[in-house]
Amino acid sequence: MIGFSQVTKRYPGGHEALSGVDLAIEQGELVFLTGHSGAGKSTLLKLIAAIERPTSGVVSVSGQNINRLSRRAVPYLRRNIGLVFQDHKLLFDRNVIDNVMLPLDIAGFERRESLKRARAVIDKVGLLKREKANPISLSGGEQQRLCIARALVSRPALLLADEPTGNLDAGYAADIMAMFRDFHQVGTTLVIATHDERAITALGGRTLHLDHGKVAEVAA
Amino acid sequence: MIGWLRHQKHALIAALHRLRVQPIATLLTALAMGVAISLPSGLYLALGNLGRLVGDLPAQPEISVFLDADAPAAHRQAIAGRLQQPDIAQARYVSKEDALAALSAAQDLANIAAGLTQNPLPDAWVVRSRAGSREELARVAADLARLPGVAETHLDSQWAERLQAALAIGRTGVWLLAGLFAIALVAISGNAIRALVLARRDEIQVSRLIGATDRYIRRPFLYLGALQGLLGGLAAGGVLALAGWVLRAPIERLAGLYGSTFQLLPPTEAEIAVVLGLTTLFGWLGAWLTVRRTLRQGMATR
Repeated sequence: MIGFSQVTKRYPGGHEALSGVDLAIEQGELVFLTGHSGAGKSTLLKLIAAIERPTSGVVSVSGQNINRLSRRAVPYLRRNIGLVFQDHKLLFDRNVIDNVMLPLDIAGFERRESLKRARAVIDKVGLLKREKANPISLSGGEQQRLCIARALVSRPALLLADEPTGNLDAGYAADIMAMFRDFHQVGTTLVIATHDERAITALGGRTLHLDHGKVAEVAA
Repeated sequence: MIGWLRHQKHALIAALHRLRVQPIATLLTALAMGVAISLPSGLYLALGNLGRLVGDLPAQPEISVFLDADAPAAHRQAIAGRLQQPDIAQARYVSKEDALAALSAAQDLANIAAGLTQNPLPDAWVVRSRAGSREELARVAADLARLPGVAETHLDSQWAERLQAALAIGRTGVWLLAGLFAIALVAISGNAIRALVLARRDEIQVSRLIGATDRYIRRPFLYLGALQGLLGGLAAGGVLALAGWVLRAPIERLAGLYGSTFQLLPPTEAEIAVVLGLTTLFGWLGAWLTVRRTLRQGMATR
């Protein structure tokens, strides 16, 4: 599903976040990206979602070469990818359900249909009672669950999560990871950047370790 | 197609919502636009009314034909003959003696006439032409002026012609002003939309990350620009209606003093529709220019 071939990403100013990375992730896999801050985890995820473009090498997602993707085609790629951010990136000018409905609205769904779908996914992350609340009134863990709901509402085949439990205490983090395991079990491909070692051992799955822009497979 | 319509509907509703949640900003922008638009459209209306006033003037203006003091009898005969021709409706001879007598009879001018040692006035014909249009009238006058023995001709409708010429300049001025204020309108709309785009930067960024096309992001702002332009046009209508209401009584009183029943005419429905259409279009254009530029910049920084 995802292929990196000799991918290097150098930022203006000379910092090389990734150097000559090769990797392949199959459909339905659960992959953890580990490594200290600045090791290139976020960059790797950004390359998959076409938020960044590689300096050299080839990134392909679902058979599409990201390098050759036109600006107009990027939104359609992203509609098949769910993104979970460490800082949630929620919109505080609308309530919980409207935040979750945004991707469906963008994709042009009928309002009644998107409402139904949004309710279902909010229920799954346990926020149904808060659907009319403003996300600013939610706790950190609830905000993260809301962000996950938004990422999943359009039923993407691929979910990318960047430090989804980074700011959460252990209890919330375990909740979130359990949620990810459920999605993995229904066939979603997940790539999760984290340094939460407990989560990795709890969930199992493949682990890729990033160090100074190089990727190494970690034996389970 | 249905998805497209749904997107348009969503964008329109979102735009209306945004206008409603910021009533003061909406009102101020509409007012700024309204004042800007009311200047050229007000001038246009004023000129239309003035043009109508000129058109209302009594027809058949007179041509005064002044003869040379030393014109020989043969020339005078020829001129009288020319005035028998079918393009002349009526011709009246006023000798210089008659003219002086008329001058002496006019009270204010009697002193002047009494002080003259000799009669300085020329013999004249007062001619009424059959000419229908101003151009024809001018041609007849010019024709008469070329006759030997004619010193000059004077067209009584000259002031009306000058007014027409002035009105023509005024109309050109309206178009110039309208062009300038259209640019102002685009700038006002662009500026208002820019503030809204900046205020919604987070939403734009998030929307992009979850698969929004540029078109999706642009759409509500374009509707906003168009609606704002429409409101500006309506505000201009309000400004003009107010001006018309204030001016109506004094103008009718002035017209009454001249014995005229002249009334201010409001714009026609078609004119109102054109103005509203144009303000909507220029509001949209301002939004389009700004959003396009702002989104491009947004791309460059990420």
